[in-house]
Amino acid sequence: MQKIIFVTGKGGVGKSTYAAHLAYKYSKSGRKTLLVELGDESYFNKFLNITKVSYQPETTLFGFDLSIWTGRDCLKEYALQLLRSESLYNLFFENKLSRSLINIAPGLAELAILGKITSGPRRHGPSARHDVIIIDSFATGHFLALIRAPKGMMEAIKYGPMGEQSRSIIETMKNESICEYHLVCLPEELPITEVLELESAIHNELNIKSKIIVNKWWRYEKDLVNLPSDDNFFNLLKIQLDRQVWTKRTLDQSAQSWSNFPMIFTTSAEDIICKSELEMNP
Amino acid sequence: MRSTKVIVCIGCGGVGKTTVSAALGYALASKGFKVLVLTIDPSQRLASTLGIEGKKNITQVLNFEGKGQLFASVIDHALVFENFIKRASGHGVDVEPILKNRLYQQMSTNLSGSQEFTALEMLYSSYESNDFDWIILDTPPAKHAIDFLNAPQKLAALFNESLAKWIKIDDQKSSWFSQLLATSTRQIIQILETLTGSEFVKELRQFFTYVNDWQKKLEDRIIQAHALLVGPQTKFFLITGLDHAKLSEAKELGSLIDRQGYRLENVIINRAYPEKDIKINEISTIKNEDFNLEYYNQWKNRYVEWTNQRSNLLHKYTDQWKPNFEVIALKDYFHTISDKESLKLIASEVLEKIKLE
Repeated sequence: MQKIIFVTGKGGVGKSTYAAHLAYKYSKSGRKTLLVELGDESYFNKFLNITKVSYQPETTLFGFDLSIWTGRDCLKEYALQLLRSESLYNLFFENKLSRSLINIAPGLAELAILGKITSGPRRHGPSARHDVIIIDSFATGHFLALIRAPKGMMEAIKYGPMGEQSRSIIETMKNESICEYHLVCLPEELPITEVLELESAIHNELNIKSKIIVNKWWRYEKDLVNLPSDDNFFNLLKIQLDRQVWTKRTLDQSAQSWSNFPMIFTTSAEDIICKSELEMNP
Repeated sequence: MRSTKVIVCIGCGGVGKTTVSAALGYALASKGFKVLVLTIDPSQRLASTLGIEGKKNITQVLNFEGKGQLFASVIDHALVFENFIKRASGHGVDVEPILKNRLYQQMSTNLSGSQEFTALEMLYSSYESNDFDWIILDTPPAKHAIDFLNAPQKLAALFNESLAKWIKIDDQKSSWFSQLLATSTRQIIQILETLTGSEFVKELRQFFTYVNDWQKKLEDRIIQAHALLVGPQTKFFLITGLDHAKLSEAKELGSLIDRQGYRLENVIINRAYPEKDIKINEISTIKNEDFNLEYYNQWKNRYVEWTNQRSNLLHKYTDQWKPNFEVIALKDYFHTISDKESLKLIASEVLEKIKLE
């Protein structure tokens, strides 16, 4: 059965880096993997130095496939399947009015995106070509709007085909054996507080437990004895490790499932993506 | 007659826009000006430091010690939008049905451009009040820094002529009226019905009927705000971080923003280098046997190497930018920035490095 992993978190914590690493890890283990960006403009084209990221998956040098799914593109594909008429399809999507309607009909784009993401397990549309799909999703607020869209739309679109599909989309998203939710954060007070709130919101919506990933974790594996020291690095290290002690305590107490992703001192995105999680050296 | 100056801070989510905006406000106020900082999403601690926690209106920051006056406000998105609708709908119009409309609720919170619109709305009304020497606008977190500039036009583009015609047609009237609708418009509505069902289309139509009352005012406001943004009193500061992707995006943004008539004055690279200088091999002997010195030095050396790599990266980009605009690198402070003391630190760094006049 296909596995779908949603990666989200506040802006700037390293969602995309982590998502790319996950994709690399799965791809290396032999599973056919697709990394999907959500949004209107690609980030990975700059981040991974790839010329063009498009709706159709392209294989990257890392081994995984990459694509970007916008609400408009997902809706287009859906409409084409449903309308089965190329000219009607063109009329709809080339016209200014329809663009307004698509943009303003709240939840429509989000529903189309979720429909596409879950199409494999729901056996709807073209058959699933990948074993694992990693979704580099929107940041927190927009992500919550995304996962809330099907329920909201179910009320508004009771009798249309999209309404009927909303039900099966929700079922798939609540299915733990298919969908995983990874929430990325940093080992600092504010991000940890926010990620626990996000976990709770997702749980309320889908009745499913997420995994918390604490990014940029300094895996300093020796004891840091309390030395009086003017060494600036020592002070920085102490502050960082204290934050991590606080983070560990807080997350352990919260009883949420969590793990850390190591801080790797490099300016190269490729290094971060490809270095093993077990890497001990910074 | 005061002439208010505006600084708009753009940048993607997570780079420290809100903190830097607050520090900029603090810096200007300490020069003796009357300053307003409009923030989007301050942390609870920062909001508490500024004295605006839980407050819906513009509030004076009372424990401010400088020569001028510092004011701040969190932009309450839902409230600003609602107030705008009320004013735009005019006297005597009952706005309750609109506010309760399900689609309106989704639109006002999730619609691309709506958050940017309320930020602009607050900026514009604060500017019109003529109460301040400086207004600093923090912008909504976005995936790409350019989003703030494109969003309002996207919002305005949603309302167009065909929509207006569509909603004027009463379903029950005769086919004479439906002939007023272009064939293509009718077909599109039919397609939408196929996709979403007739219930949804009915609701959508009802929603546009409400919107029609104030959509012109929304468009007008966007145009006014745009004029303010390209005017001589407004400067843009791009706040970014130190990595390849962000810096190359900043580079593109620079030329784009210029062509659109906005004044990009400074690129601020936040958390660019360690607050305190870190040098290799300061500790060579430690008497404590529990402390693994070799392991410690490995880490420190790796950290210093990384800092140097980042410094090279920084210079590579900034040398290319230099003639066009100022590039400022701010320190990466070891401690979390949220209280008054840390805000003062950044404010003095800002005063030292940025020409503010």
